[in-house]
Amino acid sequence: MAEIDINHLNKQFGTGPDSVSALQDVSFTVAGHTLVSIVGPSGCGKSTLLNILSGIETPTSGTVRITENGGDARVGYVFQSARLLPWRTVMDNLMFVQKAQDRSAGERCQRFLDMVHLGDRTESFPGELSGGMQQRVGIARAFSIEPDVLFMDEPFSHLDAITARSLRKELHEMWKATEKTVLFVTHDVGEAVELSNRILVFAAGGKIADDMTIDLPFPRDAADEAVALTKVKVLKRFENMNLIAS
Amino acid sequence: MTTQTDTTTAETVAEDVPVESQFRRDLRTRWIPRFAGYIAFLLFWDWASGGLIRAQLLPGPLTILEEMWGIVASGELWNHFGSTLRKIGIGWVIAFALGAAIGISMRHPWWDGFFRDWVVTTMSTPGLVFALIAAMIFGFSPVGPIVAIVVTSFAFFTVNIAEGVKALPKDLFDMARAFDVDSRRRLRHVVVPFLAPYIFAAMRYGFSISWKIATLTELFGASRGIGFMMRREYQLFNMSGLLAWIFFFFAFALLLEKVVLQRGIDHFFRWRQTAAT
Amino acid sequence: MTTVATPLPPSPWQKARTFAATPRFARILSIMVFLLAWQFLAPLLPTDLIPAPLRVLQFMWDEVRAITLARANLYEAFGISLRRLAIGFALAFGVGVPVGLLMGVSRSIENFFQDFVVVGLAMPSLVWALLTGIWFGMGDTSPVVTVFLAALPFVIINMFEGVRDVPKDLTDMAAAFRIGRGRTIRHVIMGSLMPFFFASLRYGLANGWKGLVLAEVFASTSGAGWTIQYWRDAHRAQGVFGYALFFVLFALLLERLVFQRLSRRVFRWRPEIVSVNSTAAQAVADETMRDGDRPDEDG
Ligand SMILES: Nc1ncnc2c1ncn2[C@@H]1O[C@H](COP(=O)(O)OP(=O)(O)OP(=O)(O)O)[C@@H](O)[C@H]1O
Ligand SMILES: [Mg+2]
Repeated sequence: MAEIDINHLNKQFGTGPDSVSALQDVSFTVAGHTLVSIVGPSGCGKSTLLNILSGIETPTSGTVRITENGGDARVGYVFQSARLLPWRTVMDNLMFVQKAQDRSAGERCQRFLDMVHLGDRTESFPGELSGGMQQRVGIARAFSIEPDVLFMDEPFSHLDAITARSLRKELHEMWKATEKTVLFVTHDVGEAVELSNRILVFAAGGKIADDMTIDLPFPRDAADEAVALTKVKVLKRFENMNLIAS
Repeated sequence: MTTQTDTTTAETVAEDVPVESQFRRDLRTRWIPRFAGYIAFLLFWDWASGGLIRAQLLPGPLTILEEMWGIVASGELWNHFGSTLRKIGIGWVIAFALGAAIGISMRHPWWDGFFRDWVVTTMSTPGLVFALIAAMIFGFSPVGPIVAIVVTSFAFFTVNIAEGVKALPKDLFDMARAFDVDSRRRLRHVVVPFLAPYIFAAMRYGFSISWKIATLTELFGASRGIGFMMRREYQLFNMSGLLAWIFFFFAFALLLEKVVLQRGIDHFFRWRQTAAT
Repeated sequence: MTTVATPLPPSPWQKARTFAATPRFARILSIMVFLLAWQFLAPLLPTDLIPAPLRVLQFMWDEVRAITLARANLYEAFGISLRRLAIGFALAFGVGVPVGLLMGVSRSIENFFQDFVVVGLAMPSLVWALLTGIWFGMGDTSPVVTVFLAALPFVIINMFEGVRDVPKDLTDMAAAFRIGRGRTIRHVIMGSLMPFFFASLRYGLANGWKGLVLAEVFASTSGAGWTIQYWRDAHRAQGVFGYALFFVLFALLLERLVFQRLSRRVFRWRPEIVSVNSTAAQAVADETMRDGDRPDEDG
């Protein structure tokens, strides 16, 4: 199982007087098979954190270790927008990220497309799909490489409530079935409570403000009394932490 | 399961990297390469004149500057330049009026069908064809270049304006109607600002086409104008004269297009700058 | 007798009126009006330099059957021109693509070439035709060099914009999934460069063709451009008009048979179809998107 170990991470954009601190002294570890939600106000460095963890950005200082039983961990990323290659079909978009271009990879892609209910759209181009369908392809792509660690950046925020709800269900099923470690950025506290074992709260300026464990049995339903109560409790705690001022 | 460490992301330590000043960076990536480009060009020219092509056929930079100065001093420049510019001005205005009228009418599918083939055809015909025919029919009269300008450039106005009219945003229109804005103010505050980029794009395109076609037509038949002078020097095999006129042609085209037209356009688009920042 | 209430069949008059309201009718009408006006007005004009359409058609028909008074028939003339166009454009593509790509990659290289490209874009091909005529004489070289010089800046600028336009969010995506350099170039960069290759081809060829015709007029003794000039010198107006129409037909053919098909194949993935209006769209895009990087969606 994959583990994430982050030590004294700092990220600054730009230099001199108009530099922006996106992350300040961030340290935390995540054990295997956990789904951690990351919440916080807009601009507090959530996307930056995922970008650093996935290797797109380099940190200004600090270390990041992502390990899978001692070896390199395979990383999957679901971006805030789908980021599909518009000139490739749905199937080719999934095949693009496969290590081996063989039959078993093709079968795996087909399986995950089936899982997001797009098994019959493999030959469509992304431009022919709705926004929600594209996002689902993005999710299938991330799962199809069978990553040890999965980063998800507000994957459902562009979707309507009904699609988002069914995708949350699918995400939960896939997470349960595959025992991955997931970092899940969201603005929606309800979503965080429903899906995760743990919620990391970031404050403006990129500091960790809170770290809570959500100890409720799965599957959770937003309508459940316990889930709703926890959501209210989390929101109450937010009110007491001055998140916006840095 | 034991956890061993394996760094996937390299350890980076914060260090005060010496900050390169904006000025020095600009110098390094902008001005020096640009300057180097000019130097390379002049060196190449100097070498080609004599090395690649006989020096009489490609005079060096200085000879041409001298020639240009002579043309300015003799007053010939204003005479011919003014003549060309007048033709362009007239042709351009007619082309704009004609092109806009057709472009607006093409909102209706019937008129679209009526004009479309002509627009596409004139746009894909080499300007030379119109220049030759105009020169053949009108001989040395200034009407030739004007007709050639109108025929070659009206289609660009038409297409741009038709495109803009088709793209007029229905939602803004509906909004204005919902607020009971009367049609004159709708035209002024919604339609015109929306069409402005299309119109300006057309104006610039039209302008650069007008320049070229006017000169070309003058080359085949005219008794005054920049094109006429190019033809004369060409026939006299006077390379420095030809190059001097080419440079003038260029200087004016760039000056008018980049400075005069662009200024006007930028002025009109102040709102977009502020919206962007 | 029973009366069944069937809707009355439209009278022929009604049918004609509905047809008259269709754009198709407008299209036919405009051509008819033009041809008739030409045929009947031309003889009334005080000049004999405008030939009636029938004479032009007669001339064109002869040319199509390879009957001509000129030194080369239609096919030979266009064949010579096409060969020159192909050579000149291939050279422009070979030089322009690497230069454009390098300019997109490095700011220093961009600034080194930039002003020359801008000037080259604005340079009327006429200038190249005249200069090469003097420099290289009346052979094959002048037209080929003119095509090269006329097409080159268009190839460069389009490739340059193409590199600038490679979407960073997609290259980042490839990096996050640990895709190697080769695969990234093949699937991400090439995919996003495709429209720009296509634009290079289209604008480069269009401008090269215009330059070629001019170079053949001023600096050659063969080819399609030379032939139209020949008819002018011979005071055969029907020859000039006929050849002008051949040019138009040639351009339309190239657009319909080559570019439209190619673009439909290359841009299968794009929902909207590239239409004849792309020039206008291009102009507006030039106007509105200049230097404006596309905003990134996720921060
Ligand atoms: N490439 C960049 N260059 C400069 N500043 C950046 C860059 N990327 C992010 N920033 C800055 O870093 C800070 C954190 O940005 P980030 O995108 O991580 O926020 P976020 O928490 O994901 O916000 P949101 O919830 O709105 O997506 C912001 O102040 C932003 O302006
Ligand atoms: Mg974000």
